[in-house]
Amino acid sequence: MGNVTLGRYIPLDSPVHRLDPRSKILAMIMMLVAIFFPSGWIGYAILFAVVSFMIILSKLSFGFIWKSMKPMLVMLLFLLVINILVIHTGPVLATIGPVTIYTDAIMQTLYIVVRLLLMIMITTCVTATTKPLDMTLGIEDLLQPFEKIGVPSHEIAMLISIALRFIPDLIDETNRIIKAQASRGVDLKEGKIMERIMAILSLIVPLFVSAFQRAEDLANAMEARGYQPGERRTRYKVLKFKTGDYVLLACSAALVVCMIWLAYFR
Amino acid sequence: MPIKFEHVSHTYGEGTPFCYNALNDVNLELKEGKFTAIIGQTGSGKSTLIQHLNALLLPTAGTVYVLDRKITAGHQPKKLKSLRQDVGLVFQFPEYQLFEETVLKDVAFGPKNFGASEEEANQKARAALRKTGLDAEYEERSPLELSGGQKRRVAIAGILAMDPKILVLDEPTAGLDPQGAAKMMELFDSLNREGKTVLMVTHDMEQVFRYCDEVVVLENGKQKIQMDVKSFFKDPELCRQLHILPPALIRMKEMLEKKGFEFDEDIMDLRSFSKEVARQVKKNG
Ligand SMILES: Nc1ncnc2c1ncn2[C@@H]1O[C@H](COP(=O)(O)OP(=O)(O)OP(=O)(O)O)[C@@H](O)[C@H]1O
Ligand SMILES: [Mg+2]
Repeated sequence: MGNVTLGRYIPLDSPVHRLDPRSKILAMIMMLVAIFFPSGWIGYAILFAVVSFMIILSKLSFGFIWKSMKPMLVMLLFLLVINILVIHTGPVLATIGPVTIYTDAIMQTLYIVVRLLLMIMITTCVTATTKPLDMTLGIEDLLQPFEKIGVPSHEIAMLISIALRFIPDLIDETNRIIKAQASRGVDLKEGKIMERIMAILSLIVPLFVSAFQRAEDLANAMEARGYQPGERRTRYKVLKFKTGDYVLLACSAALVVCMIWLAYFR
Repeated sequence: MPIKFEHVSHTYGEGTPFCYNALNDVNLELKEGKFTAIIGQTGSGKSTLIQHLNALLLPTAGTVYVLDRKITAGHQPKKLKSLRQDVGLVFQFPEYQLFEETVLKDVAFGPKNFGASEEEANQKARAALRKTGLDAEYEERSPLELSGGQKRRVAIAGILAMDPKILVLDEPTAGLDPQGAAKMMELFDSLNREGKTVLMVTHDMEQVFRYCDEVVVLENGKQKIQMDVKSFFKDPELCRQLHILPPALIRMKEMLEKKGFEFDEDIMDLRSFSKEVARQVKKNG
């Protein structure tokens, strides 16, 4: 449980860490949009270069990205098989027994792999360099304009930050309970069906009990300090755009335009 | 030799940016049948240390010997289940591990996991509940509805019911009322007299002074001292160096010595101490 890398903040000191969360979120959205234009291999090469540059700049290791990618491998393999069976266009690449493999099947899969890889690189680059709390501040600010049409931006941000806040706690708690029950002879990996069910029950019940307890404690603590969902609140941390943020936004916008051009006007 | 640590280190999250060296080259030898206290400030690695005893944590360097088993860094130990039956570990705040519908079922959960029949397990559970001071009326109640202290007893009973050879307790009396805590300590003491090796993490020096035979002091993951409790507290300077406040009796002796009283080093219990004070007061008018 301790080696979940996807979406985890890595406390380093880098230019990317110091960027404003709002510009990082906006840039992330723009880049994700850019990926989805059919800009061909040249486009993907450019995107790949830009994103790799960002990762190097943020001092993250590529091994870390690889770890986040790993859980998807099975899914990708499955996709490859489906594509080979379904897509029957383009020149024939090879015939193995009754199965004929067409180039388009391979190309389609490769496209998806590259897109997925880029998406993971981009999102990891943002989540790993932005403190969860800063991220929610950023989301709250970005949602502000939609408040007029009834989007409760502050409440959404609060929900997200509370959820994020409790993920590590719940992981710790799960590990603790696993250990406590292991001391009583629970073995999660072995045993008959009934024993397994009991083992899982012996984890889930205490976990729920403690999660509800935490939720109640938190609600009481917030109420005791006068928290009112609707009220305007001042902030301890005020976000401010710096030069780097404008550069990032300009570059991302340029990238989107570039991808559109590559896809439709060439 | 039931327990031996040889150059044991433990690093949490080894090889990640979050790694933390919680134990550093610990060497210990604990004799059979002793009641040992493990003390040290918060975060000094006490809980980390004791989780090595039933292989919940494996050493990242060094070797742990428990009973007839050897757990070496880098080797996945086998037959964990029998080790966990032999070494009963009561976690810090064990009340969070309760999950069954009734107290009796929850306490019988351990023995059942280790292969006892329903009947046998219930019998053991009842006996364990009696020992921790919960009578028959609690057996059919839901463990989730009990008070914190009662839950603690149920959780401890859950380990006692497994009848372990070595009992390991992580701050078993933290948060209990003084009487409840004293009763609990009496229970551990009597189990120790019956021949069980007991290891207890605690912050309460009075408990260490009164019940334990040996003391191990940890500081920042390093083992500072392992010695006989009596000789440890005979040296209040040593205690202070290790940021440990000696028990009240020892401090009182120190203060009275400054006022001109003279005490024999071996006066270590309240009764002979007060006798001695009375004697000296009478003698000197
Ligand atoms: N699962 C974990 N991952 C990373 N670090 C941990 C983990 N568990 C404990 N630590 C760290 O290891 C150190 C020792 O922790 P440990 O729980 O052994 O302390 P302790 O002596 O039992 O303290 P206390 O008296 O508060 O119970 C602490 O600094 C803690 O932050
Ligand atoms: Mg502890």
